[in-house]
Amino acid sequence: MRKFSRVIILIGVALGFVGFSVFIGFFATHAGAFSPDAEAGNKNNAADFDRIDPILSAPENQPNSLSASASLPPPQKDPCLHCHITGEDKNLWTPFFRWSFFSGVGVVFAYGLYRTTSAWRTRLPWKPFPRRAADWIEERYQIAEPVSKILNKPVPKYALRWWYCLGGITAFLFLVQGVTGIMLAFYYNPTPEAAYASIQYIETEVRFGSAIRMIHHWAANGMIVMCLAHMLRVFIMGAFKRPRELNWVSGILLLVLTLVFGFTGYLLPWDQRAYWATTVGTEIAGSIPGIGNLALVFLRVGWDVSGQTLSRFYSLHVLVAPLATVIFMLAHFMMVRRQGIARPL
Amino acid sequence: MADTTNAKDQETIPFYPDHVRTEFRVVIGTVIVLLIIGALGLLSPVGLGQPADPMDTPAHIKPEWYFLALYQLLKYIDKTIGATLPVIALALLALWPFLDRKPDTSVKVKRVRSIAVAIVVVVLVAMTIWGEIS
Repeated sequence: MRKFSRVIILIGVALGFVGFSVFIGFFATHAGAFSPDAEAGNKNNAADFDRIDPILSAPENQPNSLSASASLPPPQKDPCLHCHITGEDKNLWTPFFRWSFFSGVGVVFAYGLYRTTSAWRTRLPWKPFPRRAADWIEERYQIAEPVSKILNKPVPKYALRWWYCLGGITAFLFLVQGVTGIMLAFYYNPTPEAAYASIQYIETEVRFGSAIRMIHHWAANGMIVMCLAHMLRVFIMGAFKRPRELNWVSGILLLVLTLVFGFTGYLLPWDQRAYWATTVGTEIAGSIPGIGNLALVFLRVGWDVSGQTLSRFYSLHVLVAPLATVIFMLAHFMMVRRQGIARPL
Repeated sequence: MADTTNAKDQETIPFYPDHVRTEFRVVIGTVIVLLIIGALGLLSPVGLGQPADPMDTPAHIKPEWYFLALYQLLKYIDKTIGATLPVIALALLALWPFLDRKPDTSVKVKRVRSIAVAIVVVVLVAMTIWGEIS
């Protein structure tokens, strides 16, 4: 009975809240209808937002003839009057920030309301949302045990020495390349006519474009350096030996893929260096005995470096090589995980 | 002596949070370096050369630094051999664990391998620098 009456009170509070909102909303939108000039017979301003504004409507009764509003669109067609009033309608981001701010405040308010009423109604200690989410998932998928097994796996202490982090840095730089590469791909145009200009556009017009390109450029070089350093470390320490042979093979494939990234990415700016380095590079691939011509035609898509080559290199750079790298990287990591880090001699 | 080092190597830490924390620090360091590089990029961008012109072959065409050693090698040996050599080298490298199968028993083996690696690295670095300045 007691609990029931609390539900009734809650419903009453909610209804009161809604009613109050409607009441306020009605007066906010129909304020003009109650102003003196509405009584004076001005009929087409029932939902006229700019009636709220004293600057536009107060000095004279004809806001449209004001010099201040001469450059503004007519009141009925203006999508955001209060933006003009406060002089905020300058930045493209303003509405987004405004929406984010007010909805954030709303979410915080709703959270507080829910938490208060829930504690009051159920008389149980409050359960935080992350725990609720974890319980919700656990109830359905039972992943807590395998996850804790993964997280609590003992790692040898010697793996904290600095030369063990080279492979991890390579992997992290690959992620950086993925992110910055996607950012560049938003603006890059892989055609011989537009590639050069689109890179110029990235460097001069796009916000932080030159920084992103710089990071992509140097992280690529860093990735190759780290890759080689990791390989040397593994080789010198003999970590490639039984039972880790396949891990070494996948590592070599990842090195080759990294070089493919470098070689194909080098053509994309479509400047003289890119064009001729690719011409010479594919020519070298073309002089492999037996399969040379096949390799040449596969890389150039024809006998010359052309727009087709650019498309081919672009798709290799952004689709084929990343996919293959992700697959081999996952295999690499899973094998490391399974076999543990090799014990140093 | 050998016993104590062995015992030390047996020590473990949990993957989370101990190992992850260390990895996270490495990542933070890398990110800081990358942000500095990005800030430098705002001041002086990577830039572009002249637009590509298939009709105009420039005098000196050089590849990226990681192909410079091969580039320098190709000046002195036949193109067919120069193109085949890296393929064979990579295949050999990939198959190395199946060729060198004896498990490491002493520090001496490791030392021999280190010396071999050092020689190869010095040769490659020398070739790269030579290719860069030539």
